[in-house]
Amino acid sequence: MATSAGRGLVSHDTQKRLQRIAVYLTALLISVFTIIPVYVMVVIAIQSPATTFAGGRVNLLPTEPSLRNFLVLLGSTDTVRYFVNSLVVTLGSTVLSTTIAVAAGYGLTRFDFTGKSLAARAVLFSYMFSPIVLAIPLYVVFSTLGLLNSHFALTLALTAISAPFCIWLMWQYFQTVPIALEESAWVRGASRWRTVRDVVLPVARPGYISAAIFAFAVAWNDFTMARVVMSRDEMYTITVGASLFLDRVSIGWGETMAVSLLISIPPFLIALFLQRYLLQGFSVGGLE
Amino acid sequence: MSTALKSRLAAAGSALRERDVDGTTLLLAACFVPMLAFFVVVWVIPIVYALGMSLFASPVRNPEFVGLGNYAALLGDGAFWGFLWNSVVYAVATTGLSLVIGLGLALVINQRIRGGDALRTLMIFPYLLPTLVVIFMWKFILDPNIGILNQFLVDAGLIDKPIAFFSTLEFAMPAVVVTSVWKFASFAFFILLARLQAIDPDLYERARVEGATTWQAFRDITFPHLRGAILIILLVRGIWMFNKFDIIYLSTRGGPLQQTTTLPIRVYQLAFSEVNFGMATALAGVMFFLLAGVAVVYFRAFAPEKEVA
Amino acid sequence: MATSIHLDTVRKEFRTLGNTHVAVDDLSLDIPEGSFTTFVGPSGCGKTTTLRMLAGLETPTSGTVSFGDEDVTDLPPQERNVSMVFQSIALYPHMSVRENIGYGLKIHGVPKAERDERIDEAAAVLQIEAQLEKMPAELSGGQQQRVALGGAFVQDPDVLLLDEPMSDLDAKLKSDLRVEIQRLHQELDTTVVYVTHDQTEAMTMSDQVVLLRDGELAQVDPPKQLFDYPNSEYVAQFIGMPSTNVVDCAVEAGDGGTALVGPGFELSLPAGVEAPTSDRVRLGIRPQYLDVGSDGACRLSVDVEVVETLGTESVVHGRLEDGTPFDVVSDAVDDAVAGDRLDVSFDLADAFVFGEDGETILFGSERAGERSSSPAGAGGVTP
Repeated sequence: MATSAGRGLVSHDTQKRLQRIAVYLTALLISVFTIIPVYVMVVIAIQSPATTFAGGRVNLLPTEPSLRNFLVLLGSTDTVRYFVNSLVVTLGSTVLSTTIAVAAGYGLTRFDFTGKSLAARAVLFSYMFSPIVLAIPLYVVFSTLGLLNSHFALTLALTAISAPFCIWLMWQYFQTVPIALEESAWVRGASRWRTVRDVVLPVARPGYISAAIFAFAVAWNDFTMARVVMSRDEMYTITVGASLFLDRVSIGWGETMAVSLLISIPPFLIALFLQRYLLQGFSVGGLE
Repeated sequence: MSTALKSRLAAAGSALRERDVDGTTLLLAACFVPMLAFFVVVWVIPIVYALGMSLFASPVRNPEFVGLGNYAALLGDGAFWGFLWNSVVYAVATTGLSLVIGLGLALVINQRIRGGDALRTLMIFPYLLPTLVVIFMWKFILDPNIGILNQFLVDAGLIDKPIAFFSTLEFAMPAVVVTSVWKFASFAFFILLARLQAIDPDLYERARVEGATTWQAFRDITFPHLRGAILIILLVRGIWMFNKFDIIYLSTRGGPLQQTTTLPIRVYQLAFSEVNFGMATALAGVMFFLLAGVAVVYFRAFAPEKEVA
Repeated sequence: MATSIHLDTVRKEFRTLGNTHVAVDDLSLDIPEGSFTTFVGPSGCGKTTTLRMLAGLETPTSGTVSFGDEDVTDLPPQERNVSMVFQSIALYPHMSVRENIGYGLKIHGVPKAERDERIDEAAAVLQIEAQLEKMPAELSGGQQQRVALGGAFVQDPDVLLLDEPMSDLDAKLKSDLRVEIQRLHQELDTTVVYVTHDQTEAMTMSDQVVLLRDGELAQVDPPKQLFDYPNSEYVAQFIGMPSTNVVDCAVEAGDGGTALVGPGFELSLPAGVEAPTSDRVRLGIRPQYLDVGSDGACRLSVDVEVVETLGTESVVHGRLEDGTPFDVVSDAVDDAVAGDRLDVSFDLADAFVFGEDGETILFGSERAGERSSSPAGAGGVTP
């Protein structure tokens, strides 16, 4: 390092400065690439189409914010019903997936049995699995059982894609929780169940919040399963319902972006308030 | 898997029952029964059922056993290989670009630049935003009539007339790839950032003391630490992109002229447009075995189960 | 109420991937009620496993464990009135210090007012009153250790188990806590079982030391007895700092009786000492029992390699002429430097003779009254 001063065309300081500039330039480019689409969505959502498309060009500097697009959504579409459907199946599968994962993760780390690596491979294999390849068999089974177009079926289908990762995450998480904490409770007289309530669940909280966020994101994001399982309009989730908006004459870009903005609210809140749990999930692999 | 596992669990359970005074057996059941029941109901039964179905011609109306006939028809059809090729192109392009962008940004943010935390938060959005929303954004930006990219390109004199990116033969696949990369680059970013931040800073201190340049430090310290993560991203992300359905379906439905029809799109078309469940389940079966093959390679090469078991 | 503890041919095997590992090998042992007993030995000797069987966290493969007259072999931890301090401290990160200490009382349904009273009392004894409302993460290592101790003794256990509770603390804190734990033991009516790999802790704190080797009992005795009368070469080497010097010797019958011949010295066994039956033995002599100079009964020469000065005395690390490592502790070697040859002598009364199987076959000091030197650091502890 000390020898580089006299070498090359530029001094060491200049090299450092150029490197610094390159770093900031990369950051700037990626920020712009990331922000522009989001910005466009927001602007188009909050001004009326008349303002947006005035003069035959897209006007992207918001001058007259308006709720017109949202009112159209409420007045002439089933947006509210779609949202309710989405919430029902998302919350259902988040709870189901997280519960299964916490129980399995605890059991897999605390009980000894041979074939653990087989279990781990099974979990990982299902974790890599393709939703559409699973959707076809699920459709076949649900249709045989007459379960198509039910919240129950979609909740199961969504849990099917989120649970493997949640199990993997909790499995890894419980490995970081020292068993001495539980043993200490047993020695003090707490039963295994009481220990689970008083010690295990509180200590595992960061883990299962993380798992719940991923389960939520998968279900809220989902289009594939809902498209396959739900075929009646009144059972559509918001992603399936809104995906058909652009085909309608009565709905334009304004309303489309408005519904996009609404769909984006939960992810937005997660990014803002629960970020560290999300990052924790990425440290063991992330999901789809 | 499940029956073997179950018998082993039973053995584990009986060993524990010897001293079961406080509901240990019940706890054992509470831990594993939900997971096993769940796996059997939503994974094992449907997959076995569908594999069975793939052996019949038009299995819904009047099933006729054709053995591997559906598979033979599928693989004998030249179009299949075209769709497979599309899947590979899409998977390789999106995974590669996501990795390059994600790695670049992870290295940048790991430099502790000003605004780094904000940029990290910003990168969460593409990952968390539902695919549908991402499609809407890019459909608007790339729209031939009102899209801002076309507006910009025409204004700048780079093109004479607007391009309908998603419905033009040569642009459809690149447009889908760009849209996908926008959403999925942050996946690689977050995983690589987590790895980068786990590197002991003392290693860099030592390299500096020993006279290593920035590039040498990257080559000898950073890269070796990232290599495992990069391979896993290439593999796992590659598998997911190969099997991606929603983003392509929502942007092009596989068009124009099946230019962007990948295997997942084809499965959907067979099942729900052509209502040919024999062929659809056969294709799903082919994809299942492809995935199983890759998984075997993955397990052999990385032994990821070692992390827990 | 303190209780005595009896282990009767307790055996613990662990099976992993078809391999059976015997952690504790048919151990029989009595621990008197109210005593302070320390299990010591190198890692893997089975001491922690034994402690965990006392706690009920492991079940013996065979044999029985009793507390007093009660067979507790198969009792789960919840049904034994024991407390345990873990090596990892194991404080609940989501509970305050007060809740951590009082958790066991809460489990046993002690009303809140009484609970708080007892917690305050415990905190006063351990000088952590100011930390009661803090969370464990806000405490220093030493404070966390005190909280763990508090949580263990506030329950008034029959048996208090401590599993290497000080292994992560620095030297100063260790010596403070050592005193603290002994004070607690005097105040409490409880049998204390302490596990450590540190022989200094074992020697300073205990009424009785249990030295284990590969899951088997090497020796159980009070510290002083263990130091003076090790029943094997293993015990002699494990107890005492620096380790006992051990030198290979040949047994030769001569005119004046039997003699031990080692590198650079010949030592005739006095009349009345039964001669070893084998022709090779090992001679053990503690570094503290060596005198610099050549006026003692048995003389040998040490080539000095390293000299460590410890205030009032020095530790000389050297070798005999055949290369056998040999240490000397003395206050008269201040000017020795590497390369010197040091003449030292010792009294047969201070030496041990070990047979080929490692058993002690002769304690020099059995000829009581003949000991001439007064050892520095008796009790095996170097200050």
